[in-house]
Amino acid sequence: MRNQIAMLAAVIMVTLAGPAPASEGTRIQVTGEIIDTWCYYSGVMGGPNAVVGSAHHTCALWCSAGGIPVGLLTEDGTVYMILKIAQDTNSAGGDTQLSLAAHTVTADGMLYERDGQNYIIVNEVVADLGIQNTTHEDYGTVPPFSFPEPE
Amino acid sequence: MRNLIIGAALSAISTGVSAQDFSEGSEAKTWNLYAKVPATFEATVVGFLCELTGECAADCGSGRHQLGLKRIVDDVIVQAMKNNQPAFSGAATDLAPNCNQVVQVDGLMIKDEDFPVNNIYLVQTIQPVGGEKAKANQFTRKWAERHPDAAGKGLWFRRDPRINEITSRRISGSGT
Repeated sequence: MRNQIAMLAAVIMVTLAGPAPASEGTRIQVTGEIIDTWCYYSGVMGGPNAVVGSAHHTCALWCSAGGIPVGLLTEDGTVYMILKIAQDTNSAGGDTQLSLAAHTVTADGMLYERDGQNYIIVNEVVADLGIQNTTHEDYGTVPPFSFPEPE
Repeated sequence: MRNLIIGAALSAISTGVSAQDFSEGSEAKTWNLYAKVPATFEATVVGFLCELTGECAADCGSGRHQLGLKRIVDDVIVQAMKNNQPAFSGAATDLAPNCNQVVQVDGLMIKDEDFPVNNIYLVQTIQPVGGEKAKANQFTRKWAERHPDAAGKGLWFRRDPRINEITSRRISGSGT
């Protein structure tokens, strides 16, 4: 009963409140690697240095195509969650972000901050340097079964 | 008047729950994962693009936009990064049918003192108000519907045409 009352109150609140107003963004230009955020944050495939770059490229493709959020990881360790790239709003499994998995890029866009996270609307990928982070030299493939594909 | 009602509702609900332990009542499986804690809470399913920029898709993007869980008790938007399938799959497909609706979710929150991050969540179950609780495991079914040309045995990510196109270019040396 208590849960039902709480759920009802929640529904009433949402109905009354309506959509939240959009916040102001800040224009930024950042350079970094397009990463798979779940593997990076969760540690399920290894430490943060192992789940980036060439070692993790195949897994990054799987996660991006699977709809896991992608981020842009800068040299100082900041992660910007990507919500849109140019006109491609498909941030869950979209073609544009998939094509950039593990690439180092320079992105120009709008930064939004909310609840301790950074979000970026990429207006333009100014530079796409391809895969620059050759982590396979240290880590092989992460996870090990990700490459080569078994026959 | 409307603001007063909203304020009163917020105050009433947040009183005594500001220090709420979201693990209370959770039935989430731990998956034996390091630094993941069970967490269940009520939240509104929201699109990040819509919340942050005002660019709102009518159906939250039909599973193609990243979605968040705006917690009722504190208005914090939790990132629903992962669904309940051990298949490299996100949560947008499972959450999209509940676009802008209140749901009770259960799952795992990352809580790692050595690598602090905020509000990153793995969704295991979703229960709409007045609805049935369901496992968040719809990604692979939806993927199969979208890729009838890739039907066959084996895991979806081994058969995905887009992934295979990119990896084949890499293998042949003509790609990155």
